[in-house]
Amino acid sequence: MARKKREEDEIVANLLPVMNIMFLLIPALLMAMEFASMASINVSPPKFSSQPSEPKPEEEKKEKPLNLKVFIMEDGYRVSADGQQEGADAGKAADSKAPTIPLAKSGAPLTDYDRYDYAALEAKAKEYKSLFPSEQIVTISAEAKIPMQALIYTMDALTGRTCKLGKVQKGEGVPEDCYFWQPVVEGGAG
Amino acid sequence: MTPDQAAFLAKKKEKAAIRRAKPEDKGELGLTSLMDIVSIIVVYLLKSYASDPVIISPTAGQKIPLSTADSSMQEGIPIFVTQRGITFGDKKVVAMTAEGDIEDSAVTNHLIGPLYDAMAEEVDKAKTLGENIGKPWEGRAILVGDQDLKFSVLVDVMYTAGRAEFSQYSFCIIRKG
Repeated sequence: MARKKREEDEIVANLLPVMNIMFLLIPALLMAMEFASMASINVSPPKFSSQPSEPKPEEEKKEKPLNLKVFIMEDGYRVSADGQQEGADAGKAADSKAPTIPLAKSGAPLTDYDRYDYAALEAKAKEYKSLFPSEQIVTISAEAKIPMQALIYTMDALTGRTCKLGKVQKGEGVPEDCYFWQPVVEGGAG
Repeated sequence: MTPDQAAFLAKKKEKAAIRRAKPEDKGELGLTSLMDIVSIIVVYLLKSYASDPVIISPTAGQKIPLSTADSSMQEGIPIFVTQRGITFGDKKVVAMTAEGDIEDSAVTNHLIGPLYDAMAEEVDKAKTLGENIGKPWEGRAILVGDQDLKFSVLVDVMYTAGRAEFSQYSFCIIRKG
């Protein structure tokens, strides 16, 4: 019996249209690519702002509020709690001459962001947090020339530099290494 | 020429004629390996695609502050504040002095006039859009600052945003480490 040999035709997919799309996708995705990982720090507005504030549910205050305030000055930090600056002269609420936490790098220019003693500030925040565990608000103010990077590092130190608040956004509780993570930026210091 | 030689040459000519008559094979490019590479690149880029609701593209020469914070970016309207000027909605609204301060003519009691006008216009648009789509306007301003930005400028920008009915603020930072 004669057997007819049938050669199977090799089907070659036409990849050129797909390649065209792929090559168009690459620059489009490159344009939208996140080269640096961005994040945000939520801050409350300056107190002198006149915009309507968000209505907050009334909270039962069991303990006296801490009213922690940190002033970033050119010569260091002035930390005060409940209106009393720590390290001020006896009988004075604040002392403009002596900072609570002096500079880590005395004489360094303002653009040297490591001139402040962030470790000491973080230790101070930890100390206050242990005394007022339910407090999370800190008011931060600075002198006019203080650079934004120093302000951000100060916020990091007050929040806790190992604190990961990203988990809170996912519905998890606030980690124990987070101290004062709700900064209120206030103008007019110094 | 011997008959053998003549036969040989005739055979050679015949073979050459057959070869010439054959249709030429079409040259094909091997695209499969290229496809593999391109597919891998596309998948990688898709994974790196910015999934934040707001894509921040810093302006030229802007150094966004570094931080250990890791909270993801929330939806809002970005305000780019650099040592050179303030940009809002892709338009430079205020120029800075050489010292990095806002020009005196643009500020009155912390209120930056040109920025306020631009923001108020944007707020009106956002509110109308929010009403049309049934989503209330949140009023969040994302401050994309510069490492060397002075605190006084920052406060003025925040105050102006507050006057333009922005009630929530975020500082844009680059995650450290």
